Amino acid sequence: MPIISPQAFAPPPANDRGSPVPPTLREQVRRLERAHSVQRAVRTAMPLGLPKIDRLLPDGGLLTGALHEIEAGPTPSGRVAVHDGAALAFTAFLMGRLGPGTLLWCRQPSGASDAPPYAPALAAWFDPARLLMVVARRDEDLFWAMEEGLRTSGIAAVVGETRAADPTAGRRLSLAAEKNGVPALLLRAQPAAPQSVCATRWRVASAPSSAPDRARWRVELRRNRFGKPSVEEMPSWLLEWNDEAHCLSVVPQALDRSAGAPRRERLVG
Amino acid sequence: MRLADSRTLVPDLVTTPVAPQADRRLIETLANWCDRYTPWVAIDPLGDAIAEESAESCSAGGFGGDAGLLLDVTGCGHLFGPGEVGERALLADLVERLSRHDFTCRAAMADTAGAAWALARFAETQAALFCPANGQRDALAALPVDGLRLDKPILETFLKLGLRRIGDLYPLPRAPLSRRFGDQPLTRLDQALGKIDEPIEPRRPPPAFRTRLSFAEPIGRPEDIAAVTSRLLAALCQQFEQASVGARKLEIALYRVDGSVDRTAIGTSRPNRDSPKLMKLFEEKLGELDPGFGVELMILSAPEVETWTGAQDMLPETAPATANPLGEDGTIDLADRLALRLGAANVVRLLPRDSHIPERAQTTAPISAPAAPHGAWARLASMKGVRPTRLLQRPEPVEIIAALPDDPPRQFVWRRHAHRLVRVEGPERIADEWWRPRPGGKVMPAGIVPPVRDYYRVEDNDGGRFWLFRDGPLNGARWYLHGFCA
Repeated sequence: MPIISPQAFAPPPANDRGSPVPPTLREQVRRLERAHSVQRAVRTAMPLGLPKIDRLLPDGGLLTGALHEIEAGPTPSGRVAVHDGAALAFTAFLMGRLGPGTLLWCRQPSGASDAPPYAPALAAWFDPARLLMVVARRDEDLFWAMEEGLRTSGIAAVVGETRAADPTAGRRLSLAAEKNGVPALLLRAQPAAPQSVCATRWRVASAPSSAPDRARWRVELRRNRFGKPSVEEMPSWLLEWNDEAHCLSVVPQALDRSAGAPRRERLVG
Repeated sequence: MRLADSRTLVPDLVTTPVAPQADRRLIETLANWCDRYTPWVAIDPLGDAIAEESAESCSAGGFGGDAGLLLDVTGCGHLFGPGEVGERALLADLVERLSRHDFTCRAAMADTAGAAWALARFAETQAALFCPANGQRDALAALPVDGLRLDKPILETFLKLGLRRIGDLYPLPRAPLSRRFGDQPLTRLDQALGKIDEPIEPRRPPPAFRTRLSFAEPIGRPEDIAAVTSRLLAALCQQFEQASVGARKLEIALYRVDGSVDRTAIGTSRPNRDSPKLMKLFEEKLGELDPGFGVELMILSAPEVETWTGAQDMLPETAPATANPLGEDGTIDLADRLALRLGAANVVRLLPRDSHIPERAQTTAPISAPAAPHGAWARLASMKGVRPTRLLQRPEPVEIIAALPDDPPRQFVWRRHAHRLVRVEGPERIADEWWRPRPGGKVMPAGIVPPVRDYYRVEDNDGGRFWLFRDGPLNGARWYLHGFCA
């Protein structure tokens, strides 16, 4: 969703007096469109290894220099999920595919019922020795820590677990990610106010599994800023994680009965 | 004399309540201020009366007690001039600066702390306050014996015997003196004359590495302070390089024109001597410093240094990839920066621990600790059964419905919400680690079955996956929720 429509600034053949648009103005416009044109040329993407999803994503994968949001969705029966085990696992899967280097994980403690990520389980996706865990009590500290991480070399990905939705902080994170080519992931235990700056927003919920060690997740791509438009309005897949073979696969549509009637929601963004 | 009597004699007597704590604070401030001359500053131990709450001990020595400061200025005088001239200049500078802050003080300099103590209190002329090298025997001879820092009963006996001056003690035979009065008079005399050593115990351990910069005009702008800090850092890092050490802790002190001192410190997780990186850490902290009305002197010191363990400085292209996944420079520096603002306990790495108890299998360590060896986590994960992606710090009790007491659960209620279970995997039995002492410090009595946990991974009809366990001996077991699975 471009903020500035390219047509609006397309240089007209001539203005009222018949003289061309001054080059400085054109330069200014180009700078305004930086996020859409200049950066596009140099950015890279990390394929998920799931062709059905990668097809829709820009450059065939998750953009590395961008902000991505992963939120825990409601359960199939529509209740608010009590935990984000599936969203966390999906985040860990994404992190595992992101190149070598340190993974910075920033989180906020939630008092007595605090449930931090548990490394023996995360080891299925990446080596927890790569993790640098940061606990920040205040929102601004958390966003600051994430931004510092994005600006540091040798960091493969930065994850922030927070309920706060601060548009300014989101914008700053997005810019820092763009500048350094390090992906920033925001993991939300509950759906928060959407951040307009994120490149993709995923909603992940647990789905009934087919067999032991075959956890299934319902994954919706709710926003796909630079990606190709989908045939469906809200692309959604049922993913199956095979804990023995350590691989994630898309459950074919024919077997995807648990989803019920396709939801008629509009793609946001 | 009581206050009422004093008021009768002097009707317009000015009185102030005794405030020993305030006195203590003031003398601490002065001691901080004196750090500008030497790191080796001690509050006179005999002035301790001011620290005590009782008003009586204070009234004995007048307002403020016998408070004094001892400065070991060995090797510091040359900053003010060569040899004795410099030492005299240092003393004059000290008095002059203190008087600028409206302090009346008497400062004396001698070879020994005892002699300086006596001269500062009992010297009669201004010239006598400075005792030239090896001149303490003559300088002390004319002073009253009170200058020897003796206990009160000994002093009174001396006065009764007619020993009024320190010089009166010189010709006395030592053995009878010690037999009559104990060790104290001779020890004090020898200390004052420099025959035995008297160490001064500094308030804060003097740092081995220290740089200072004083200004002709007081500075106050944050940019100036940052610029000076970076200059001092560069100088200090050169010292580090020569001594092949790196800093673990650095402290910057601002000496303000009003005589107060403001300090702030940074810590690093490994010996560091890279001045741009250290400067980056300081940038976080410099904002906390308050220059007040201006800063006339800044001192950067390294209270903690460690032997340099870092790699030799190399060109970036030739630097080898480190085996330590968190060992990369960027990450360590990032961790230092984060720890400075968030606290060292909040920036950690995760380490595996050989334990079957789930909450013990993962532990945190500061970033300076060595990382888990490659593959240690994977080995741990492969040995165990299925584990949750989130583990509750404190297991939460749940209500269970099962067909039979020992059967797997059919339904559980957590936070007043019922979850009907469609899939139950388990149990995975985890026994208590009997070799560890119990929390109460007691050893489990023999013959009693230790508590075991039976873990189940369950899935409710909504697809939510949970990790439950049954705790305790089998009869009378309680159920808990311990984690959330993928």
